[in-house]
Amino acid sequence: MRRPGWFLSAIAAGFYIFLYAPIVVIIVFSFNAARFGTVWEGFTTKWYGALLHDSAALSATKNTLQLALVSTGIATLLGSLLAFGLTRIDFPGRKIFDRVLYVPVFVPDIILATSLLLFYSLVGSFIPALELGMTTMILGHVTFQISFVAIVVRARLAGLDPALEEAARDLGAGEWKTFLHVTLPLMLPGVLAGAMLAFTLSLDDFIVSFFTSGPGSTTLPILIYSSVKRGLTPDINALATLIILISVLATISLTWLQKNKQDPHPKK
Amino acid sequence: MKIITPLLNRHFCAIVFSALFFAGAAQAEKSTLNLFIWSEYIDPQIVSAFEKQFDCKVNIDLYEDVESMLAKIQGGGAGLYDVVVPSDNLVPVMIKQNLLAPLRHENIPNLKNLDGKFVSPAYDSKNRFTVAYQWGTVGLLARKTAGQPLPDSWACIFDPAKSAGSFMLIDSIRDQVGAALKYQGHSVNSIIPSELKAARDLCIAAKSRSVGFDGSVGVKNKILAKTAQVGIVYSGEGVRAMVDDTNTTYIIPKEGSVIWVDNLAVLAKAPHRDLAEKFLNFILDARIGAQLSAYTQFATPNQAARAFIKPLDLENHAIYPLPEVTDRLEFLNDLGFKLRLYDEVWTQIKTR
Amino acid sequence: MYLGQPLTRAGRWTRAGITSGPAALWLGIFLVLPLAAILAISFLTRGEYGGVELRFTFDSYKRLAGFGELGFDSLYPVVLGRSLALGMATAVLCLAAALPLAFFIARLSERYKGAALTLVVIPFWTNLLIRTYAWQILFSPNSWLTIAAHSLGIGTAGEALYPGMLAVLTGMVCDFLPFMVLPLYASVEKMDWTLAEAAADLGADRWRVFRHALLPQIWPGLGAGFILVFLPATGQFVIPDLLGGAKTAMLGNVIQQQFASSRDWPFGSAIAAVALLLVLVGLAIFQRKGSKHEVLP
Repeated sequence: MRRPGWFLSAIAAGFYIFLYAPIVVIIVFSFNAARFGTVWEGFTTKWYGALLHDSAALSATKNTLQLALVSTGIATLLGSLLAFGLTRIDFPGRKIFDRVLYVPVFVPDIILATSLLLFYSLVGSFIPALELGMTTMILGHVTFQISFVAIVVRARLAGLDPALEEAARDLGAGEWKTFLHVTLPLMLPGVLAGAMLAFTLSLDDFIVSFFTSGPGSTTLPILIYSSVKRGLTPDINALATLIILISVLATISLTWLQKNKQDPHPKK
Repeated sequence: MKIITPLLNRHFCAIVFSALFFAGAAQAEKSTLNLFIWSEYIDPQIVSAFEKQFDCKVNIDLYEDVESMLAKIQGGGAGLYDVVVPSDNLVPVMIKQNLLAPLRHENIPNLKNLDGKFVSPAYDSKNRFTVAYQWGTVGLLARKTAGQPLPDSWACIFDPAKSAGSFMLIDSIRDQVGAALKYQGHSVNSIIPSELKAARDLCIAAKSRSVGFDGSVGVKNKILAKTAQVGIVYSGEGVRAMVDDTNTTYIIPKEGSVIWVDNLAVLAKAPHRDLAEKFLNFILDARIGAQLSAYTQFATPNQAARAFIKPLDLENHAIYPLPEVTDRLEFLNDLGFKLRLYDEVWTQIKTR
Repeated sequence: MYLGQPLTRAGRWTRAGITSGPAALWLGIFLVLPLAAILAISFLTRGEYGGVELRFTFDSYKRLAGFGELGFDSLYPVVLGRSLALGMATAVLCLAAALPLAFFIARLSERYKGAALTLVVIPFWTNLLIRTYAWQILFSPNSWLTIAAHSLGIGTAGEALYPGMLAVLTGMVCDFLPFMVLPLYASVEKMDWTLAEAAADLGADRWRVFRHALLPQIWPGLGAGFILVFLPATGQFVIPDLLGGAKTAMLGNVIQQQFASSRDWPFGSAIAAVALLLVLVGLAIFQRKGSKHEVLP
């Protein structure tokens, strides 16, 4: 295959710049000394310092992490089990289930969010635990995370050779042992990838959180949105830069880790 | 070992998650107050003072327009927050929907500090559910441009020929539609479809020439950021903008405008009702009332607080309008079922 | 059959129950029931100040079709059309950008492929709100981008490029591009270039080579990417809200408004129900056409 020509490379480079322009702008402006507006008024790091004293930002960070970790844990468990069930066991209704599974992936978030809000207000008056707050947010996040996890794990499972598991059974291993010692380790890269995806989706989620949040359960995306709407920007730039740096580092290290965890017989 | 590791990881993770969960829950041991209030509407130092005096934590959630607050309470239930800040026209609505808890006046001795005008108002006789918080007006915030006179009329927004520069509209149903109604010489409480349609068309036309919609705080910040020259704001935002940037002025248009009273109220199923009433009492304290108005730059309904307010503020006509100006101002009424017309108009304004 | 051995019916059901049961229950309660609630509420009446009254009515749908209390208005069908158009425009623009990108990455040497792909994915992992807000900065009156656009004749001098359709489209493409690149790349990578070489040897010009030798091969990835962008883009709320102001209201904005300041749940539910129906129909068509191509990395 020919190397890409200079023309194609130039176009591609253009699009890469397009993708990264917003990120670069945020990082640059987090050092802008101007309190209002978008005119550059000198270099400063004071907004980063201001962040440490911003209790709203700190509590939003704590909420976001708590929400993401708990929901990812639940969703990974349920989603992986589901993927296993859908791939390995044929039961009536599987086809329909399969279709329903894709709904959260394609349906616009706002519909999921408003449906959950409606559901919680209708049911919440009878069940106090379902009052808007961290619990309702977790429940909402898990709901769309399950689909993504299941799809990713299922892709992994579909690529596995059933002969390995059958061989284990033939050698006398019980069902549970087979699952534990053969299937699960083989599934693990998919499970981890699914968990990673679910974690990011939760961290990033704005709409579902926005509609199902309650007192004291503001997350970072909600905080950023309100601040952007109000026009208070300086320390949000600093916060955003930190989030960007963390995301980039996490992505790079996790991708690198995944590469090294590849199964011993890579395709090619 | 290789096989146990994934399992161990699962268990380990479960422990970590539960620990985080319970750590979060354990923090809630301290008594809390859930406050739902407009943005930039309470001095953080007042909140800290309250937290210190009553050994509690105050959770503050913010909103930019009062209808969204009502929507959140309707959706989340009357137990979602402890204290909310409805405007005068929404108080009857919330009372009718059983969203407010009656105030136990014995817990709020500072009620006596209220100015007589705000005791037992028309929208809440005998202060059964609310106490006045701050009051103010709706008007224009404009940046002075060299060589041009300051706008004095809603025309700078609604008449393309008389524009005073790029402008922003306010993201609040009654205030924005009210401005259009006033410009056309109608009442802000009109329920005549033809008048509303005319106001709607004016707003839609203005929208296409505008920089966008925002809450009062957002408009103020955008004008300070020089993203727009003119905008519709509440009096407090106007005065604070003038302090931040002396090239801006708050103007009440000659056609007239809206005057409003915001109130503190306790939700019907508030989880911390006692603490909520203590909060109301705290705010009604004379010195706290003065500190509040000094921060928000809105007018205080607290007679006793006036003794502690800077004379400069008391004489500031942007905060305390002169009687001849007040004559042009109208209070917003609860329109009952007819409010639907406004909601429909608003949806059309925002959507077209 | 399970692991090479036949299962009893009871055996099948217990295994299905343990593995798929919990997730099925979860999705049933928190996905299916709420969506059903939306459908149900859309046929109820709005309470005096918001909330719902248990009275069956078609009012919300009638209003959606344009027959509201203030007379006929084609407003909402227009919004629906506008949202579909935005979704389509976003998908097409993403496709136009993703094709060169995918081909570019596929042609890189092994060493750089992974890095190039990761570089495309990294923006996806950074918060959407932050990136959208960054476009606000980039489109503000004083930014070099706006000034350059003014010199090209776009927009009026001294004014920001947002809120407006251009800003919204830019934000949308920037957000959805990785969703298009990844599935497309998956197809492009597996392509058999010898077909293209053979076609060229037989005398076909570059366009025919592309159309007949390359395009059919990447069609599955293309289709998956298109659907993955078009359907969610139609219901987007955040980007039109932050970059469109309230000047270009889309489906997502109207729905959000009904559940916020307008407090008209039946109407909001009706819009959501119609949008949901459209998405489900679109999804069904796509799934019917086969190729449930793997869309995620």
